[in-house]
Amino acid sequence: MNGRRAFARWRATAAPWALLRAFVIFVYVFSLGPILITAAVSFNASNRSFFPPRGFSLRWWERAVAPEWMDSLLFSLKLGSLTALLGTLLALPLAFALYRYRFRGRQALLALTLGPLMMPTLVTGVGLLQLLQSLGWREYLGFTGLLIGHVVICMPFAVRTVSVSLQTLPPNLELAAASLGANRLATMRHVVFPLIKTGLMAGAVFAFIHSFTDVNLSIFLARPGETPITVKILGFLEFGFAPTLAAVSVITLLLPLVLVAIVQRVSGLGDFLYGERNRA
Amino acid sequence: MSYAAWQNRIPAHWLLVFVPATVLLVFFVLPNALLLSASFQKSQAQQLTAEITLDNYRFLFTRSLYLEVFARTFIVGFSVGVLDVLLGYPLAYFLVRTQSRWKGLLIALSLAPLLASVVVRTYGWYIILNRFGFANDVLLGLGIIEDRVPFMPSTGAIIVGLAHALLPYTVLTIMGSLNGINPHFESAAMSLGANRVRTFLHVVLPLSLPGIVGGFLLVFSIAISAYATPAILGGPATQVAATAIYNFIIQLLDWSLGAALAVVLIVSSLLLLYAAGRAGARRATV
Repeated sequence: MNGRRAFARWRATAAPWALLRAFVIFVYVFSLGPILITAAVSFNASNRSFFPPRGFSLRWWERAVAPEWMDSLLFSLKLGSLTALLGTLLALPLAFALYRYRFRGRQALLALTLGPLMMPTLVTGVGLLQLLQSLGWREYLGFTGLLIGHVVICMPFAVRTVSVSLQTLPPNLELAAASLGANRLATMRHVVFPLIKTGLMAGAVFAFIHSFTDVNLSIFLARPGETPITVKILGFLEFGFAPTLAAVSVITLLLPLVLVAIVQRVSGLGDFLYGERNRA
Repeated sequence: MSYAAWQNRIPAHWLLVFVPATVLLVFFVLPNALLLSASFQKSQAQQLTAEITLDNYRFLFTRSLYLEVFARTFIVGFSVGVLDVLLGYPLAYFLVRTQSRWKGLLIALSLAPLLASVVVRTYGWYIILNRFGFANDVLLGLGIIEDRVPFMPSTGAIIVGLAHALLPYTVLTIMGSLNGINPHFESAAMSLGANRVRTFLHVVLPLSLPGIVGGFLLVFSIAISAYATPAILGGPATQVAATAIYNFIIQLLDWSLGAALAVVLIVSSLLLLYAAGRAGARRATV
């Protein structure tokens, strides 16, 4: 084969691809670098957040697992789990009504359901704070207020994943079950539920992560002693950047990662990201 | 009327949605309505009064301090959108077209940052950008700068931090529209003599334009209401809309101005998302 032609071909096809790969590596460094740097900094022996770390020590990790931080972490875990549970429980009937029935007001209901996704969460937080204050319910700030807010902003995620499952499920299946003598409840329990379980699971995971990583809503509804971990880290960042915060940050990063890895193993989440994409 | 007859009168779908719809009406619609009304009310001695006024908006749109906040917010949103499209497009294209057997892992890695809270992701940028940070060390070491430069607090730092935090959104949106392009179009163009670059510019890029526009607008709308990153990398001297709202409401207890600013934010955000939806809708008809 003619060498010059081969080179021209290579230049026309391989070179742009090689260039693209180089750029992609740069993007990965940009995207993962700061997170890895944070992880590295937590092992500093010095008491400032130096990178590269000066010396090696685990003392910041010791401080990170002290009750001061672990209490907030447990608070966030509790909040996230309850949000995921309530969010999916409320989302299930909504998704059912929206994707199994045709009725007047369906568009309005759809807008209402997806509304919290469109509205900046910060604004929802301010609004809820104002509602609680104007009703004289200041004592519900903290856990209860946060739970309400998180359920509201996380519900749309669960509605989406459940509806993706529902749409892949032929409606005839329910009719078939009914014609074989199953009542509504039995159809639901033995036919529909097993088939939409993955959607429910994915919804719960997305809701949990959204709640666990939220800042914009929580800054308005938290109160001292009842603060999610993200808000607590943020509060400390304003005063200083001790490597403890880096260690705490790494812990809060690892938890959702482990959760997703487990769920991915058990039931798979990938399809739902694509489901999200189709609706975005 | 018997119970059974009564039960039959209410359609099943309304029974299904009663509880969740009530939750949303009380805890989502009502708060937003309150906020909207507060933005037209006069505040006195940190209390809302019954007096209806447009003064809150007039105040925000005439003080140079707040005009600056609006301008900074939109400059940040726009720049973050542009940066994320520029960084995200090549990555999305690579992820969609690569034949690597690590494809799944690579996709997961590109989306993994979404699992970390913005606070965590911004912390890394603090370590890099502060006066005694990594960037300064490197630039000093290379002799590019002679004295330590405070890269933060600054608008630039906010832009970089947010572009980092929101990158997965553009990657996801653009991957979505690239996945919808038939790969045979590319082979067809190349078999007709176009090289890779020309094929890309004349076939792939135009077809993925809706994904670019959608991703840009989505990131723009999230960036203008972001709180944590501007609070950490910007500080009091470089306020954006979100940090200003927090100041009004938590520090100054001025609900009227906070609410008015929030309403401005809602309107801008909804307009951007509406435009993003239109871009997506066009995609569906291609």
